[in-house]
Amino acid sequence: MTDTSLSPAAVLPEVTVHRQTLSGRIALTLAALAVAGLALMPWWASTGTIRMVLELCCYLAVAQMWNLLAGYAGLVSVGQQAFMGASGYALFVMAQTFGIDPFLAIPISLLVPAILAIPCYALLHRLDGPYFSIGTWVVAEVFRLVASNMGWLNAGAGMSLTVMKQYSAFERNIAMSFLCAIMVLLTVGGSYWFLRSRYGLALIAMRDNPVAAASQGVNVARLRFLVYVAAAVGCGLAGAVYFMAQLRINPPSAFDPRWSNVAIFIVMVGGIGAIEGVLIGTLIYFIAERWFGAYGASYFVVLGILTLLVALYARTGIWGMISKRWDAPWFPIRRRLVDTNR
Amino acid sequence: MQWFDALIQGILLGGMYAQYALGMALMFGVMRIVNISHGDLVILLSLIGISMASAWGIGPITVMVALVPLAVLMGWVLQKAVLNRVVGSDPLPSLIATFGLSLALQNLMLQIWSANSRSLPGGGIESRSIEIGGIYIGLLPVIVLVVATGLTWGLDLMLKRTRFGRALRAAAADVEAAAMTGINPRQVYAVATAIAVGILGFAAVFQALRSTVAPADGGAQLIYAFEAVIIGGMGSVWGAFAGSMVLGIAQAIGFRIDPGFGVLAGHIVFLIVLATRPQGLFGKA
Amino acid sequence: MSAVLSTHGLVARYGDFQALYGVDAEVAAGEAVALIGANGAGKSTFLRAIMGLLPVASEMVRLNGAPVGGTAPERMVAQGVAIVPEGRRLFTGMSVEDNLRVAMDQAARVGAKGGWTLERLHQLFPILKEKARIPVQSLSGGQQQMVAIGRALLCQPKVLLCDEISLGLAPKVIREIYAALPEIRAQGTAIVVVEQDVGLAKSATDRLYCMLEGRVTLTGRSAEITREQIGEAYFGAGHAVV
Repeated sequence: MTDTSLSPAAVLPEVTVHRQTLSGRIALTLAALAVAGLALMPWWASTGTIRMVLELCCYLAVAQMWNLLAGYAGLVSVGQQAFMGASGYALFVMAQTFGIDPFLAIPISLLVPAILAIPCYALLHRLDGPYFSIGTWVVAEVFRLVASNMGWLNAGAGMSLTVMKQYSAFERNIAMSFLCAIMVLLTVGGSYWFLRSRYGLALIAMRDNPVAAASQGVNVARLRFLVYVAAAVGCGLAGAVYFMAQLRINPPSAFDPRWSNVAIFIVMVGGIGAIEGVLIGTLIYFIAERWFGAYGASYFVVLGILTLLVALYARTGIWGMISKRWDAPWFPIRRRLVDTNR
Repeated sequence: MQWFDALIQGILLGGMYAQYALGMALMFGVMRIVNISHGDLVILLSLIGISMASAWGIGPITVMVALVPLAVLMGWVLQKAVLNRVVGSDPLPSLIATFGLSLALQNLMLQIWSANSRSLPGGGIESRSIEIGGIYIGLLPVIVLVVATGLTWGLDLMLKRTRFGRALRAAAADVEAAAMTGINPRQVYAVATAIAVGILGFAAVFQALRSTVAPADGGAQLIYAFEAVIIGGMGSVWGAFAGSMVLGIAQAIGFRIDPGFGVLAGHIVFLIVLATRPQGLFGKA
Repeated sequence: MSAVLSTHGLVARYGDFQALYGVDAEVAAGEAVALIGANGAGKSTFLRAIMGLLPVASEMVRLNGAPVGGTAPERMVAQGVAIVPEGRRLFTGMSVEDNLRVAMDQAARVGAKGGWTLERLHQLFPILKEKARIPVQSLSGGQQQMVAIGRALLCQPKVLLCDEISLGLAPKVIREIYAALPEIRAQGTAIVVVEQDVGLAKSATDRLYCMLEGRVTLTGRSAEITREQIGEAYFGAGHAVV
């Protein structure tokens, strides 16, 4: 017997770690083109289209944040609108009341959801499972009621972003398109980067089994907290961008539960725990909104029933069904060991 | 005197909230499920009651006699068709399922009854009041409180003394061990939800008599029920009852300070309790 | 003697992990059999599979000859199979008496008759009468085990499955609990005990089965099986040679 045959390195086949796949490379290229397309909207789209795409991108961003919370961290929030409204108001106050440049105010306004998320989480994490969810809703209601009662937020009447008048319509379109592209890059691209990092590995372990993950050294409590704060900032960014485009904010619109409704629909129908699911869900929501949005209440009845049916019969959503049949992820996160000698 | 009056009104208001909170405490206690459509079911029952009253010209007591069995049936169907499929250690499926149901119910009600606020004519009972030492106490709120106390007492007695109550407590403690002792958990769950929603049949009539109801009001009722349960402390029906009183008093006092502050004061008391005594005021640590 | 409960090629798995590989075993009315084996040999899994807590094919478990495999646990109880589960699994927060009453309630509901009453149980374990109103979680381990056995008996079983009822108890308490078995058997109840203590298992039962890695490796009359045979079956042939 020689030494080499005893050493484990010789017994094990030589492997390399593969993380990217063909489908992943194609999807990544398409995604890069799409983000570039978003940034260049003023040169190919009308103002109306830009507004529509921007709103859709806000839904995409909020849905991906909800996916991070519910799909990976096990934190089912129905109150993310709290942070959208908070940063929206922060932006309006800074730009309108204190005269800070509105585009500079956007990144600063993200500090508000980040800071508010800390005490919110400190309180809410004491609530058990489903009670956590209702707790997030109470927090959003508290934010709305506080905003409705605050004189310097103009109480129930709300505020307008008149400072934006200093820019021409075309300049505003350029700004909004860039912001839109940055928002998608940060929320969806950022999630992808996060999930591929070593935190992502821990997060996926936690999604599959929190107890086992904790026993393997994953600090579940800290990771949950980080995800909660990150999701608050992500939703805050969507809020700031959305309300800047709207030019108006008031308490009912700032803290509208509709955002949660739509985010949950998108993630559950598209497929929870996967970025691909959020993209599919957003696309479905977009088509449904265009075709059936005019039906108002009955449209939401169908949305609600679909969400119910997915929870009962198809928990992994459309992407779950697709990925069971074809193993071709758009945003591969898994690490694969490939035998180099074969 | 003004504050004493607020205290009395708060306790009376708490009687209303207790009727929402009992069912939520029961369902969470036995299944660890929160039904997000809890409040929407109250509103749905109220609107059905209002329509029945106006179509057939029946009084509130007749409406209640019709509505409570209907509510029991709704709870049974809800459990059999939806909740039995999603009950388990993962809270996500039950939350999403009842969330979808809530969204569908709210908008369905909007379609049928429009967004207008409605109320149930009580034949004068809603405006009658008794004067005690300079404080006017409405007759209807007193009836609501008495019924809430009776429901709490009855539910507590049922849990402690009856065969079903023991089976329910056993299933709440350890569902697998309960099954190994001969209990059919799904049957227990179905009866528990039927009772929880059945209580909402009473709440629906009183809510529609006391004030107005509109399809979008369900969310607020859900939140009040939830706050009452957490403030009181999970695990006992009297805890939910006491939590309802605290919430009612907080809202009534807040309302006296500033009408825009009433609901917010309730939320703030809830958050303070959560920060200082997460097991609830009357719960065991 | 015909078997009241029998398994036929019983196979069970937890997800991808196969825990039982075709187990054949049986117990007759009034008979006591022991199931011994190292940790992870599949003893508890065997009892759980019989109770319907794991998915198994219906022909794999027979009760009085009728296929019952995979029947829901509450229906197994109704048909006369009760279990003293591993770790006792009492209903925390409820009194001793209420824990026992839960079983009586369900037995009454399905009309099960077996002659076990609260009074007879109190004769068997007098301490349970004394502690009737005490919440179960404040009882000692041995007393809790008595409640668990009592709860199973009040289901009026024809077959009683006992999962490690001596685990973690003092020798005196173990003797006290095992002393109850003859009276239970006298009722015509078949008993299956999963037991770590081989000596105890041998002395308290008529027959025994030894399991290793999900298979039965030895079976025979408890009084006739030798220590050496058990050692071989317990650890596998490789170890027995040494």
